[in-house]
Amino acid sequence: MAQEFSLSRIGQFIRRDLTIHKSTFITGFLVTAVLLFLFCILNMVWDKQLGLEEFFGIFGLFYIPMGILFTFSLFKEFNDTKSNHLYLSLPISIPERLAAKWFTVTIIYTVAFSLLAIFVGMLAIAVGTVIFNANFNVLSIFTEHYWNVIKVYFVIQPIFLVGAITFAKNRIGKTILLLGLLVLGFLLFNFILFAIFNHSYGVFSGETIGSEAIDKAGEDLSVMGKWFYSLLFGPIMLAVAYFKMTEKEV
Amino acid sequence: MLTVRQLNFYYPNSRPVLKSINLDLHKGNIYGLFGKNGEGKSTLMKIMTGLLFPKSGTCALLGESTKKRNVEALQHVFFVPEDFELPSLSIATFEKVQSPFYPKFSKEQFYELIEEFKLSPANIISKLSFGQKKKVLIAFGLSTNTKVLLMDEPTNGLDIPSKSQFRKVMASAVDEGTCIVISTHQVRDLHSLINHVVILDNAHVVFNQSLETVSEGLWFGKALNPEEPSILYSESSFGGKTILTRNDREETEVDLELLFNGVLSEPNKINTVLKNIHHGTGV
Amino acid sequence: MDFDNGKPIYLQIVDFFYENILIKRWKEDERIPSVREVAMMVEVNPNTAIRAFNHLQDLEVIYNKRGIGYFVSENGYAKVLDIKRKEFMQHMLPDVFKKMILLNISFDDLKNTYNQQENEKK
Repeated sequence: MAQEFSLSRIGQFIRRDLTIHKSTFITGFLVTAVLLFLFCILNMVWDKQLGLEEFFGIFGLFYIPMGILFTFSLFKEFNDTKSNHLYLSLPISIPERLAAKWFTVTIIYTVAFSLLAIFVGMLAIAVGTVIFNANFNVLSIFTEHYWNVIKVYFVIQPIFLVGAITFAKNRIGKTILLLGLLVLGFLLFNFILFAIFNHSYGVFSGETIGSEAIDKAGEDLSVMGKWFYSLLFGPIMLAVAYFKMTEKEV
Repeated sequence: MLTVRQLNFYYPNSRPVLKSINLDLHKGNIYGLFGKNGEGKSTLMKIMTGLLFPKSGTCALLGESTKKRNVEALQHVFFVPEDFELPSLSIATFEKVQSPFYPKFSKEQFYELIEEFKLSPANIISKLSFGQKKKVLIAFGLSTNTKVLLMDEPTNGLDIPSKSQFRKVMASAVDEGTCIVISTHQVRDLHSLINHVVILDNAHVVFNQSLETVSEGLWFGKALNPEEPSILYSESSFGGKTILTRNDREETEVDLELLFNGVLSEPNKINTVLKNIHHGTGV
Repeated sequence: MDFDNGKPIYLQIVDFFYENILIKRWKEDERIPSVREVAMMVEVNPNTAIRAFNHLQDLEVIYNKRGIGYFVSENGYAKVLDIKRKEFMQHMLPDVFKKMILLNISFDDLKNTYNQQENEKK
C-alpha cells in the first residue's frame, strides 16, 4: 500500500505548480513591484516619510488581492475541462494536493511577497531620501501592522480556495458575492442576537440608537468573529475544499 | 487487472450511456474498444481512470475501486484522452514536473520515443500542433510504464506517417505485464495492433472476444455462392465481403471493419457461433 | 509492411521470413531480429509476431537459443525452399492450370513466354 500522505510528493507538486504558473507569478510580481513602488513614492510626496503603518497599508492593498488572484490561477487547471484529466489522474492524494496548494498560496506566496515588498519599499524610501529629502527609516516585518495584514489574508484565503474549486466560471466574482452574503448574514445574525438580548433596555426606541446597535453588532463581530474565523472557519473551509475535490469529476 | 461489474452511467438529464457493463481486462493484451460515436467509449475509459464515478456498479483496478483515486491505483493507470490541453512548458520541463509522480517512469524511454516521434525536448508544447501534442502525451504515457494504459482515439489528429510511427511505438512498448486499451472508430488504423475486441453499442457491451477466437470461428472474405448457408453477415454491395462460419476453411485475417459492421447488425448470430467454439463442436 | 486482407497477418510475417531466407539476407546459423524488433518492423502486436516465430520453430526453419535469440536453422534454406516449392506446386499451379484451360493457353505458349523473358533478362 502506497502512502497516502508523502512530503516528497507534496514537494514535487509544489514544484509542478510553481513551474507551470511561473509566468503568471512573475508577471504578477513585476506589476505589483512597479505599482507598490509608485504608491510608496506618492505617499512620501505628502509628508516626506513612509511610516510602517502607511507602508503596510499599501502592502495589504496589493498582498491580499494578489494572493486571491494567484489562488484562482492555481486552480485553473482543476476546472478546465481540457486539462483536468491530467491533473485529476495524477497519482497524488487529495490531502496532499490541498496541502501543496495551501502551502504555495499562503506560506510561499507570503514569504516571497513580503521579501519583494520590503525590498521595493526600501528602494522607494532610498529614492525618496535622495530626490525629495524624505526621512529615512527601515521597514521591518516585526511589527503588528504587518502581522495584522497577514492574519486577515490567512483567514479569508481558504474561502477563496473553496471558491476556486467550486465554481467553474466567473470564480472570483461568485466567491466575493458569496462572501458578501455570508458576512451580511453573519452581521444580521449578530444584530438579531443583540436585539433579543438588549430589547428590554429599549435600545431601539430612538433613531440614532438603532444605528448604534449596528455598530455594536459590528464590534461583536470583531470579537466573536476573530474566534470563529481564525479557529473554526479556516479549517472548516479546508474541509469543504477536501470534499469538493473528492467529488470532482471531469 | 481491470474489473467492471454491473456498471451503469448516465450524464445529468440524458439517456443512459452505459448499462450493466461487465468486463474483465487482463495484462498482456491490447484491447480494441470499438463503438459508434457517442456510445460511451470515452466515458468508460474515464470511469476506469477514476475521472468519472459510476452511478451504480463497480470498476476496480487491481481490486481497488477507481473512484477512490488512491495514490497507488493512480500510479498504475495512465489515460490519454481524445482532446486535451497541456501546460505551456517545454517537453523536457513537462517531463521533469510530471514524471516524479510515476514510480516506474523511464526517462530514457521517454526521450527515445520523443526522438522516434521526431520531436525535440526543447520544443514548447503549446506551440506544437495537436497531433504533436498527442505524441508527447502518448510518449509520456508509455514511459510511465503503468500497468494499464488507456488511449482514447489515439490516431485522431495524426497524419499517415505518424500513424505508422504510432503503431511501431506501440508494438515495441507492449510487454506481458501491461494492459492497453485503445478506443477508436477508425478501426483500420489499428487492426494489426490489437488482439482483443470489445464492441459497445446502445450502452451495452455487445461483443467481447479475443481475435484468436474470432479467427478460429469466423471466415472473412468474398463468398463464392451468395446463397451459402453459413453466411452470417454480408455487405449489401455487389461482390461485397461476407462473414461466414469458418468450419473447415483456411484461417483468414480478421477484417475488423467487417466484424464491427457484422456485430452491429447480427450480434446474436455471430456471438452464438463463437460461443459454440468453446462449448462442444468437436472440441 | 502492407497487409493483404485475406491471409492471417502471422502467415504474412512468415512469408516475410521466407523471403529473407531465400534471398539469403538471413543466412543459416545467423541471428535474426527479435520478436520485438519484428513486431516493430511490421507494426503488429508482439503476440502476433510470437505466433509467426512459433510457427517457424515448429517447422524447424528457425531455432531459439535461450537468452540469445532466434537463429536460422542449419538447413533452414533447404527447408524453406522445400516449403515454398510445395506451396507453389500445390496452391499456385492448380490456379494457373485452371486459367490456362480457360484461356486456351498451351504448354508451348508458356514455354515460349518463359524463354523470352529469360532472354530479355540477359
